[in-house]
Amino acid sequence: MKLRYYIARRLLLLIPTLLGLTLIVFAISHVGGSQRLLGEYINSHSTIPVNVQEQQLAERFHLNDPLVVQYFYWLAAFVQGDWGYTQTTIYSGTVLDAIKLFYPNTFILSVLAAIWTGLIGIPLGVWSAVRKDSVLDQTTRVISFVGYSVPLYWLALLLIIVFSTTDACSCLNIFPIGGTASVRLMGGVDWYSGGISDPTHVLIIDSVIHGRFDILEDALMHLVLPVITLTYGVMASVLRVMRSTMQDTLSQDYIRTARAKGLDEKTVINVHARRTALIPVATLLGHTIAWLLGGVVLVETVFNYLGIGYWTTQAILNDDVGGIMGATIIFGLTFIFANLAVDIAYGFLDPRIRH
Amino acid sequence: MLIVGLREIYGRKDTKTPLSARLREYRLTLKILLESPSSTVGLAIVLAYATVAVIDFTYPSLIGVQNAYSMVPDFMNSVPAPPVWPIHPFGTTFPGVDLYQAVMSAIRVDLWYSLMIVLAGAAAGTMVGVLAAYVGGYVDEALMRFTDIFMSIPFLPFAIAVAFVLGRALDDVSLALVIVWWPNYSRYAYGQALSLKENAYFEAARASGVGTWGIIFRHVIPNVLTPTFVQISLDLGTVVQVFASLTFIGFASGNPLLPELGTLISNGFQYAVTAPWVIFFPGMAILIFSIGMNLLGDGLRDALDPRSRT
Repeated sequence: MKLRYYIARRLLLLIPTLLGLTLIVFAISHVGGSQRLLGEYINSHSTIPVNVQEQQLAERFHLNDPLVVQYFYWLAAFVQGDWGYTQTTIYSGTVLDAIKLFYPNTFILSVLAAIWTGLIGIPLGVWSAVRKDSVLDQTTRVISFVGYSVPLYWLALLLIIVFSTTDACSCLNIFPIGGTASVRLMGGVDWYSGGISDPTHVLIIDSVIHGRFDILEDALMHLVLPVITLTYGVMASVLRVMRSTMQDTLSQDYIRTARAKGLDEKTVINVHARRTALIPVATLLGHTIAWLLGGVVLVETVFNYLGIGYWTTQAILNDDVGGIMGATIIFGLTFIFANLAVDIAYGFLDPRIRH
Repeated sequence: MLIVGLREIYGRKDTKTPLSARLREYRLTLKILLESPSSTVGLAIVLAYATVAVIDFTYPSLIGVQNAYSMVPDFMNSVPAPPVWPIHPFGTTFPGVDLYQAVMSAIRVDLWYSLMIVLAGAAAGTMVGVLAAYVGGYVDEALMRFTDIFMSIPFLPFAIAVAFVLGRALDDVSLALVIVWWPNYSRYAYGQALSLKENAYFEAARASGVGTWGIIFRHVIPNVLTPTFVQISLDLGTVVQVFASLTFIGFASGNPLLPELGTLISNGFQYAVTAPWVIFFPGMAILIFSIGMNLLGDGLRDALDPRSRT
């Protein structure tokens, strides 16, 4: 099959997946009963009695129709960008606006963690397979085992206790914590309000745009601990799979051939073995992304980092359907499109997959 | 009808493997398991946790727990106090709760819920996967696409959303995790059953007149069970973690005095910097169990793999 057809087929598969996502989100927002759904719209100070308001709203949102009909009305509104309202302590407004505000922060955190996962996890896995049973290999295995098992929010708290500027023993007060920037720097800054900066909403980019490099430094320092936590949590599985497939690959016949014809060990490992061993790691990527997006929720919550994950936990505490729905949609979409990108890249890398 | 069929299938004495042969099999598995130091450590950890859970359920006073079902607050001294041997070996946490007793009871609660989540998920998922693989055709397409839909959202945000709809009690959170977790087993059993289907004994069973349900319950499920069991043991460590994550971020807020590891960490959250022990011990309880379960799962996978039994 040509690569073109492979991509077209993969894009077509997107349709049922996306429809499935909307079905789930619809179910989540409607199963809890209309009372909960209408909570955001009811004005208790109005002269119109609450039950009359409820009736009017039920009429407006077609809540008296069969569920199937409701789904199509909901889907139509959804496609037109009407995703409802959210009301939490950190933001009140439409779900779509909230996503626009919070998503860039989450995106940058996830991408940074993903990059570090690749940069550290892959070479470390290769190294540990090449030097099997050495001290380095044993250490790597322990690191990956603990990474598998450690609750991320707990690791984040430990890092805060040890490294943050607020720590009790004030031994290692290196990193500032809480949010994306220190309050003392952001006082008179007019492009920053409510923890969110303009115009890209990502502080490390906006500070460069506005030429405030002291803020950039501060924002980067705020990012260090969240990125370390997230990277460590996600890296474990990459490390483990990389190590085991690299070991398998190194015992293959063609590696022996490469060595026999006199190639130096560096070429054998870096060119012949690593490339093959990367394929199973690529299949793992979907799973890794899921872990990453789950970890984001916990890490953002502990570090008070204003992103989708923090918004989600605020929505739980405030009993806010809109926030939960919006977060589910955006996490689902991110996951689906990240997997799409992985699959297409995979098609380029491995010709066998196109068949 | 299904029950009668099940009795007919599993009740026949003559086709059962003799007990002595099965015992020999278990002993061999245990021997291979104990040959590796890491899985021995894993087994020891898991057994220790299981013992704590059982004692806490039956005679909590044996391990020094006064009330296994509720934490005992002391509002006069609600600020966490550091560990003092032997009154408070782990110190106290907000609101004046003895952390040692709370962690011991919380281990029982977390283990119990996680075990139920994994078992229910595995039962549902295996059924769906096996049915899809064995019946094939439209059933296969429908069931597996249904499974795919559930896998289109990363599980933690999905679990949060489902738990949000269901409610805040621990039972609701568990049910949410089952709803999110079963597709893993469905995929897994599907793959296993598909490769089993190629075996000649299926053809033989069908030729000798065994019905669809007979083949599924007699030939497919028993063969899928062992790999699923390994998967369960690998997953249990993760589920304990995920369960405690959900309670940490604000579920299970209905009963703040219920001993539960995630709730304990969340109760101690605001004191984490000034009184690190309030989060250290509950987190360690999760971490050690999860490591033990992963070590044991890895060991079981090797021990139950026919290739390692030569």
